[in-house]
Amino acid sequence: MRAAWPDEAPTRLPGAAYPDWDAIYADNVGRIYRLMFAKVGNRPDAEDLTSQVFLTAFGPLRTTAGVGQVRAYLTATARTVLAEHWRRTLGHQVTEIDLETTDLEDYAGTAPADETANGPAQERATRILRALPERQRQILVLRFLRGYSIRQAATELGVSIANAKVLQHRALRAAAGLDKEQKDRAQKDRAQKEGEAS
Amino acid sequence: MRQPVDRYVDRLLRRRRPKPFAPTQDELAVMRTAIDLMGSAPEGHGPRPAFVEQLRDRLAEQERAEQGTEAAAPAWRTPARRRFLTAGALTAAGAAAGVGADRMVVIASGADQSGQPGQPGPQQQPAPAELTPTVGVWRDAAASADLAEGDVWPFDLGSVTGFLRRASGRVQAVSGICTHQGCRLDLAAARDKLSCPCHGATFTVAGVNLTHPRQSSGPLPALPRLPVREQGGVIQVYAPASSPSDQG
Repeated sequence: MRAAWPDEAPTRLPGAAYPDWDAIYADNVGRIYRLMFAKVGNRPDAEDLTSQVFLTAFGPLRTTAGVGQVRAYLTATARTVLAEHWRRTLGHQVTEIDLETTDLEDYAGTAPADETANGPAQERATRILRALPERQRQILVLRFLRGYSIRQAATELGVSIANAKVLQHRALRAAAGLDKEQKDRAQKDRAQKEGEAS
Repeated sequence: MRQPVDRYVDRLLRRRRPKPFAPTQDELAVMRTAIDLMGSAPEGHGPRPAFVEQLRDRLAEQERAEQGTEAAAPAWRTPARRRFLTAGALTAAGAAAGVGADRMVVIASGADQSGQPGQPGPQQQPAPAELTPTVGVWRDAAASADLAEGDVWPFDLGSVTGFLRRASGRVQAVSGICTHQGCRLDLAAARDKLSCPCHGATFTVAGVNLTHPRQSSGPLPALPRLPVREQGGVIQVYAPASSPSDQG
């Protein structure tokens, strides 16, 4: 469709560049969406924010050429859009896009079946879960990673629904580093293990 | 007791958009953890194809609106930001004015050939291969008699749809595509506002957003204005020469 609009044709682009806006969009819409999903954790918000990034970047980006420059510009736009989203909805920066460490290259994505499709987010989840006691890890895996309902998770773990809710609540607080007692105990355990190992 | 933060996490787990509340620092930490854990959910693996298509259409629509506006800008208003036009937009303006020369000439003449875009000059030089001389034409949208003072009139040119209105004798045109998700707007029965059948957004007939859907997190952008002119008893809107649907 865009071929009908000739205004971009006369611009001669250097080697590693996108031929036109469509190419920029096609190559990056998935990356921006994955980045945003990792920052908000739900599809409706991730879609809205992705739209905002492209609608905002659309004008200024037309004259920018290199792939790296385009991605850097999109990432910077995404950072602003996300910050504005949190400011407007919760008044706190719940999550941020760090321009130093965020590389859209990491959000390339692969086949949907691939569990590592959303690389950096997957790593974070694994790291969080590894630090938890078995039961807490189980409930979070069932609820967040496998998509079990609270009832299904309770059945799987052999507890009542009320207990499953409490377990999930505690597990999340512990994963967030808020369960001080547990953190101390974990530290003690680790120290003890290291002591035994040596 | 169920806390707001539990409801927030619950909505994430139900794959819904969470609702705002005023969180404490501890609650923020819980929310961050929940978002991190959701990061490996299947929906995070990639956008829906339908969403990708929708956004592509919106971007195309925005590009069309911008190009149409820039091409005919001198005919109806000269915003200050014209000073910052990109080379691409200048080329489009020049091309619309029928100037098929190289870019420097286009820029120079684009500035003063303001009055009559869409009238190809008979003595054009042969255009360089990469420049196509026209991107759009003035197309009839309504008869002047159809549009009384204060009235609103829908039009559909295939590639561009929108609404004309006459206020203080002057005709204005706005796009008829909702700036939320690109649905086609309806004119309310009272002919005083435009409403979106998809998510209920409403706009004034001048294009200003009145109400926005719950799922959009703030006011929607105004409807783009379309270049419009009135001559010989006909109201014309500047639009692509052929319908984009013909081209895919």
